[in-house]
Amino acid sequence: MPYRAEISRKNPGCFLFLVDQSGSMEDPFGGESGRKKADEMATILNKLIHNISLRCAKSDAIYDYFHVGVLGYSEDKSKPALGGSLAGKELVPISELANNPLRIEDRTKKQDDGAGGIVEQSVKFPVWFDPTWSGGTPMCAALKEAQGVIKKWSAEHAKGFPPIVINITDGESSDGDPVADAKALTGLGTDDGPTLLFNVHLSSTAGAPIELPGKPDGLPDQYAKQLFEMSSVLTPFMVGRARELGMAVDETSRGFVFNAQPVQVIQFLDIGTRPAQLR
Amino acid sequence: MSSGSPFAIAAFWCQKAGNAVEEYEDAWSVRRVGETAGCRVAIADGATETSYSKIWATLLVESYLRDSVTGPEFFDRLEAARRLWRQRAFRNTRPLPWYAAEKAKQGAFATFLGFELNVAGKVWRAVAIGDSCMFQLDAAKQEMRVVQAFPLSRSTEFGTSPYLVGSNPEGAATVGAHAEVCQGSLRRDDLILFATDALSAWLLRREEDRAPAWKEACESIAEQSDFEVFVQRARDDGMRNDDVTLLRVTFRG
Repeated sequence: MPYRAEISRKNPGCFLFLVDQSGSMEDPFGGESGRKKADEMATILNKLIHNISLRCAKSDAIYDYFHVGVLGYSEDKSKPALGGSLAGKELVPISELANNPLRIEDRTKKQDDGAGGIVEQSVKFPVWFDPTWSGGTPMCAALKEAQGVIKKWSAEHAKGFPPIVINITDGESSDGDPVADAKALTGLGTDDGPTLLFNVHLSSTAGAPIELPGKPDGLPDQYAKQLFEMSSVLTPFMVGRARELGMAVDETSRGFVFNAQPVQVIQFLDIGTRPAQLR
Repeated sequence: MSSGSPFAIAAFWCQKAGNAVEEYEDAWSVRRVGETAGCRVAIADGATETSYSKIWATLLVESYLRDSVTGPEFFDRLEAARRLWRQRAFRNTRPLPWYAAEKAKQGAFATFLGFELNVAGKVWRAVAIGDSCMFQLDAAKQEMRVVQAFPLSRSTEFGTSPYLVGSNPEGAATVGAHAEVCQGSLRRDDLILFATDALSAWLLRREEDRAPAWKEACESIAEQSDFEVFVQRARDDGMRNDDVTLLRVTFRG
């Protein structure tokens, strides 16, 4: 049965993010004026890396349960998109990523004070990725580049949990139909199963967020439907975990979200007992 | 605790395969209660995904053994344990990396099961939060029979995200509401096993598959090396790779 491999320091998992940095990412997000899709993209990616780091933090250390990489795509090509000392690297252990953000900002977070009020709490907000946009949306090139990265990682981790690729985009590929390249990517994998491809659609269209649908009905446009078609069905464990997190899913649900922040995806993998209170 | 006592206790444990022995995060302890010729037993399982959870699991079992209550009120009496956790977890004064500091702020979490046996009255009472379990077994017949499984009784009830006891004061007032309580009477030839989640789930699955492993858990393990062989066999048979603890209480009528 696939997707049963244990994720551990000796047998790490893999997250590869594909991020759309095309010119259209400058457009407003979700019908909001003043907030660009590129801003939403940076927020999502920074939160995802933040959450992976926190899951792997243990006492005063961080355990390398995952290898993580970011490929950006714009103009007519795709290339590694991490900056600073990680520039040019395709995949790095999570400890290397957690220890090398571009900067750590001090932000305030509103929190329940436990007595019916709200208090502002100072929090550290590491930033790995800043908004950027230019040119076209070479999604096919990004999916092809990802195939190379995943092929290499899977060969080195043949017994490992299959890689998870998360594509964050506004959906309008400029170098062809990406479905075939997506299928080629999910045709790769480890002994434990095929690569999982999830898609996060950031649209200028206003509308209610859609999370993990099982059918394309009700998706707002052709790009959303295309990204849905490219997306993998959740594994049984992921369906169970999503239910524990209070999400409406079933065995047909796919790793696709429309105008929603997919931060809970990081909780879909098992690296040990997690208290229900930390959902 | 065997000499002159109406019961004998054996304890075995091992860490998750692939981990160092120092990374074992279960905790357990036993104390004799003279007045009732009985004992108090506590077992806790520190959550893998939280920091300093071994310290918290140890403080929980020590707190139960020092106390005399047997119900959910135990969880209202953890102020001192929470204070000690903060002292021990944050005794390192050098600055932590951002992720370690943020994780530590979330607190540590653990399962807990406390059990008190009154041998004089031949009754027991247990309180639990989470998925560490106890099993009362009737060992009178050739095939051992489960009299009571607590707090979980089916292998499908185990998940990877149970409600646990936290070391932070936030939510402390409502923890007791999540506690389960069970009591029973003890008969001649009964045995009681305590186990953390991976082993508990596997034992229940074997029972459901009509291939019970109670006898194996009770009679084939005399030494730590026997336990390690037993755990390896269970892992080969699909038991989740996790820290494993087994406590066995045997009565002498």
